[in-house]
Amino acid sequence: MFSQLRYAVGLFLLFFVSTIWAEVSVPTLSHRVTDLTATLSAEQSAALENKLVAFEARKGSQIAVLILPTTQPETIEAFGIRVADSWKIGRKNIDDGVILIVAKEDRKLRIEVGRGLEGAIPDAIAKRVIAEIITPKFKANDFAGGIDAGVSQLIKLIDGEPLPAPTAEDVANASQDDSSDWIIGIAFFGLLLLDMFFAELFGTLLGTVCTGMTAGLVSGGFAFFSSFNIGEAVIAGIGMFVVGVIASCIFKVYSAFSGSSSGSSWSSGGSSSWGGGGGGFSGGGASGSW
Amino acid sequence: MFKRLIILSLFLILSGCGYNTLQSSDETIKASWAEVLNQYQRRADLVPNLVNVVKGYAAHEKDVLIEVTAARAKVGSIQATPELVNDEQAFKNFIAAQGQMTSAISRLLAVAENYPQLKADGLFRDLQAQLEGTENRITVARNRYINAVKDYNITVRSFPSNLTAMMFNFSTKASFTVENEAAISVAPKVDFNAAPVAVPK
Repeated sequence: MFSQLRYAVGLFLLFFVSTIWAEVSVPTLSHRVTDLTATLSAEQSAALENKLVAFEARKGSQIAVLILPTTQPETIEAFGIRVADSWKIGRKNIDDGVILIVAKEDRKLRIEVGRGLEGAIPDAIAKRVIAEIITPKFKANDFAGGIDAGVSQLIKLIDGEPLPAPTAEDVANASQDDSSDWIIGIAFFGLLLLDMFFAELFGTLLGTVCTGMTAGLVSGGFAFFSSFNIGEAVIAGIGMFVVGVIASCIFKVYSAFSGSSSGSSWSSGGSSSWGGGGGGFSGGGASGSW
Repeated sequence: MFKRLIILSLFLILSGCGYNTLQSSDETIKASWAEVLNQYQRRADLVPNLVNVVKGYAAHEKDVLIEVTAARAKVGSIQATPELVNDEQAFKNFIAAQGQMTSAISRLLAVAENYPQLKADGLFRDLQAQLEGTENRITVARNRYINAVKDYNITVRSFPSNLTAMMFNFSTKASFTVENEAAISVAPKVDFNAAPVAVPK
């Protein structure tokens, strides 16, 4: 009787949840052009993506395009700021990101401008780009043309603004795959192999200490060579020593319980997605409809 | 003896954590509030330009123009400082004044609808775009302020950080409420049968 009641309550709750009209969730960011409505063909999408990649490599500023069916029940402004806060397009502290959002079924669009570009693209100018360049093409059903023309105009406007030059890091992110996760996986696996080796050679306690020291020395060396700062290198070294010791202890406990001495398998796939640079938005920009 | 030491250190650690969270939440509130004030100021700065453009085309719409100018003056007279957050009455007055400005601006823009030449004026369109942008920025800044206050209030009220809060005199802070809650609960009347306002030559 009690279990039946539980089922009933569970079903009721499930029903209740399914009738709530949820907000549109912010799409995951993986490319500069995110088209959830198949408006752009593969070639148009790739061409636009290449244009934006080249722009970011040249200027450092990031532009993203998002095309989705609807933003209801939210207004496009409320949705736009949620996307901006989540994606964080644009470089950190420079805040030079722009997002062009098209809600195709709502027939509304918005240009969300990052804080750092409010001089280059004030609200009035963003409104003009929408009203004079993008909307006429949208009204003629030329979505790819409209988006392309709008993006070109935005690029022109941002080009006129003095921004810090893109650093080598930005360029690398703009044109290469992000493979840092993969490296960490390999490094960790290597550390655990080393741990097994040391345990064989030196016994449990000394082996753990040796693993920690190796981890500390290697990461301290990396930190030193990438920043030439002794203080940072020492901190990184000590930190990684502790992490190495803890990891080696955990590994020993794990292998004791599972009875096997082989390492676990690590996924070593590289991800080819792009990410925002940490830029901030304050709700500037303009919206329009067609 | 040892057990007591552990309990004492646990207690210190717990309340220590609460103290730092309260400090950082408080600073976040101050920063969010400064941003809200920043955006309200931006709007106030746009209003004189708006009045001048409208005067050029619709000089005899004196009532609305005077109303907007008066609202602007009232907003300018209130000292908008970071401490405003802590004084509930002053905060309410400030929000009320800003609300009056919002209504005055919307009335002005509504009147401007009757003047097609004004609507077509490039400067007016730019100002309208800037006002819309500023209103959106105000909304975003208010949202961020509300979230900052929420996080702070949660810390002040949760156990064990409420003990730290009591020790150091941290109290819950006021958030934004909607002015005229009763008035906005009534849906606006849309009447298409009313005679249109005569457009002056």
